[in-house]
Amino acid sequence: MKTTVVGSYPKIPDPPAPGRWRTSVEKLQRGEITPADLRRVEDEVTEEVLREQDEAGIEIPTDGQIRWGDGLTYFARGLEGFAIDGLQRYFDTNVYYRQPVATGEVGWRGPISVADYAFAAARSAHPVKPVVTGPFTLALLSRDEFYGNLDQLVMALATALNRELRALVEAGAPLVQVDEPGLLLRRDAFPLVRRAMGVLWDGVAARRALYTYFGHIDGLYPQVLDLPIDILGLDFVAGPRNWEVLRRSPFTKALGLGVLDARNTRMETPEGVAAACRRAAEIVPAESLYVGPSAGLEFLPRRVARRKLEVLVAGVRRAREGAA
Amino acid sequence: MTSLPTTTVGSFPKPPYLLEARRKVSRKQMEPARLRELERRATEEWIRRQEEIGLDILVDGEMYRGDMVAFFADQMDGFEIAGLVRSYGNRYYPKPAVVGPVGRRGPITVEWFRFAQGLTSRPVKGMLTGPYTIAEWSFNEHYPTRRELVLELARAIHDEAVDLAQAGARYIQIDEPAIHTRPDEDFELATEAMEIVTRGLSAYTITHVCYGDVPRIYPAMLRLAVNQIDLALKNEDFALLETFRSPRFTKDIGAGVIDAHSHRVETPEEVADGIRRTLRVIPPTQVYVSPDCGLKTRTVDEAVQKLAAMVEGTRIVRKELAA
Repeated sequence: MKTTVVGSYPKIPDPPAPGRWRTSVEKLQRGEITPADLRRVEDEVTEEVLREQDEAGIEIPTDGQIRWGDGLTYFARGLEGFAIDGLQRYFDTNVYYRQPVATGEVGWRGPISVADYAFAAARSAHPVKPVVTGPFTLALLSRDEFYGNLDQLVMALATALNRELRALVEAGAPLVQVDEPGLLLRRDAFPLVRRAMGVLWDGVAARRALYTYFGHIDGLYPQVLDLPIDILGLDFVAGPRNWEVLRRSPFTKALGLGVLDARNTRMETPEGVAAACRRAAEIVPAESLYVGPSAGLEFLPRRVARRKLEVLVAGVRRAREGAA
Repeated sequence: MTSLPTTTVGSFPKPPYLLEARRKVSRKQMEPARLRELERRATEEWIRRQEEIGLDILVDGEMYRGDMVAFFADQMDGFEIAGLVRSYGNRYYPKPAVVGPVGRRGPITVEWFRFAQGLTSRPVKGMLTGPYTIAEWSFNEHYPTRRELVLELARAIHDEAVDLAQAGARYIQIDEPAIHTRPDEDFELATEAMEIVTRGLSAYTITHVCYGDVPRIYPAMLRLAVNQIDLALKNEDFALLETFRSPRFTKDIGAGVIDAHSHRVETPEEVADGIRRTLRVIPPTQVYVSPDCGLKTRTVDEAVQKLAAMVEGTRIVRKELAA
């Protein structure tokens, strides 16, 4: 049983502590500092966020995605073929992303996230998990003005992002996570997603995690088990039905157990987390459980996110003791 | 009222002296009473500007509000501010958490409405944030279901609307920008909540909806218990009008003809063109002219120029209609 996170972490601390990242962006916009200055601030915030995860006891942290404007543009800006347009609502949240527009042939022109991964990996005592937004979600939330059909855009993205995943593994990532929450909006597109995953993970010599969140996978199970992945991450908060769905067929992967509500400040208890771990251990061997929040933690204020991680770790400890 | 009445969605940019004063108060370098004075001054400036520009239905400009949800949460029972949460870029908002039974301690917006209406003979809109949006944009630690929270908030916002009407508000707007967040799961709930909010009101009622997938809630949104639905048309280049051809749009529309999130000032002719496109789908007696959204993210100059172009463009079309 391992403790992990799904991805993002709040970039600014709670007031009255100064939100250095936020004020630095303002200063950059006013031309008072350079992009290199902002990058240094982001370095420091990344270190701070790695430290908070470490202090909470998280065994597989991320870099907190401090440098991500949002999960779409972080990758789309680095790829060939995309322009960036206006704001759109991100799923059913009150978070907005700038919409990528496919205006030409999509391609990989070089590493996008590798330097950020390497920076974090060098500053953490734990294995850092890089996260890449999946080709299907990226395509679904973008606007296509070039390909004229979703299939082609998804497959072009799968080919491009495969290069990114390989580059991450070359940089030393022992585990790579791909996020596909978009799949839950379009269960009917599973055959396309299956083809895309074949291309995406081709030759990626690391532990392969695929995460969905904001809902359940009813209608996709057990087919998802055919995907070339090692870990399937699921949201049991927005998708409590996942408990029942997983009972319908033997679960053959490791499970990303998303049990802490990443979108509500209501605080879980260690007992509740331990109970969820024990329940999951009836489905998957305990050593195949990656316990974490239901989604990225940036939906929460910093202090709440941190507290939730502490509860997570205490709950997992309790479950381990119970199992011993 | 004249044909094609002009109005705005609610918020205007705060002048630099007010932003500075708000910063000082948050650092405890200025007395809140001094800030109130400056808010009144800024409100009066906006009332005068709206009159000079020639708008028909005015707003107070929300000089005294920060976030549209936190402003209500701060003054109601059952909420605390959980902290700052990012919405996009480096924009953060103080997100409330519901930690107990929600309810109104007393009037929330009435005093400012009276102040603004006292400055002008033109009608000023009463401006409320709707129950679904307050619930959706808050954390919920207390109520077992969203439904219970939304309906309890609806009763509180209804009481506020009644107080505004009693204070003389002839137009009351209930903003629901989050209403289509979960269209399949929750639209009936949002509709039920709006019925509670506007029940028995004598005022003309408006709701503003923006961002997200409006076609998904069409034509269901025509059942919302309001007289007018105010929508952003301009930033999607009036694509929504195609949706409104069939079935036809049976309510009044607040047609957003000015992009609230671009620096570029529209020309009067561009505005006129947008109104003409709207009139091809919705008859003139049902059309009010407005920007896409609140203008608070623009500069004062940009907002004034955009509104002047909007009024001028509306006059062009009024002349054509009269001819």
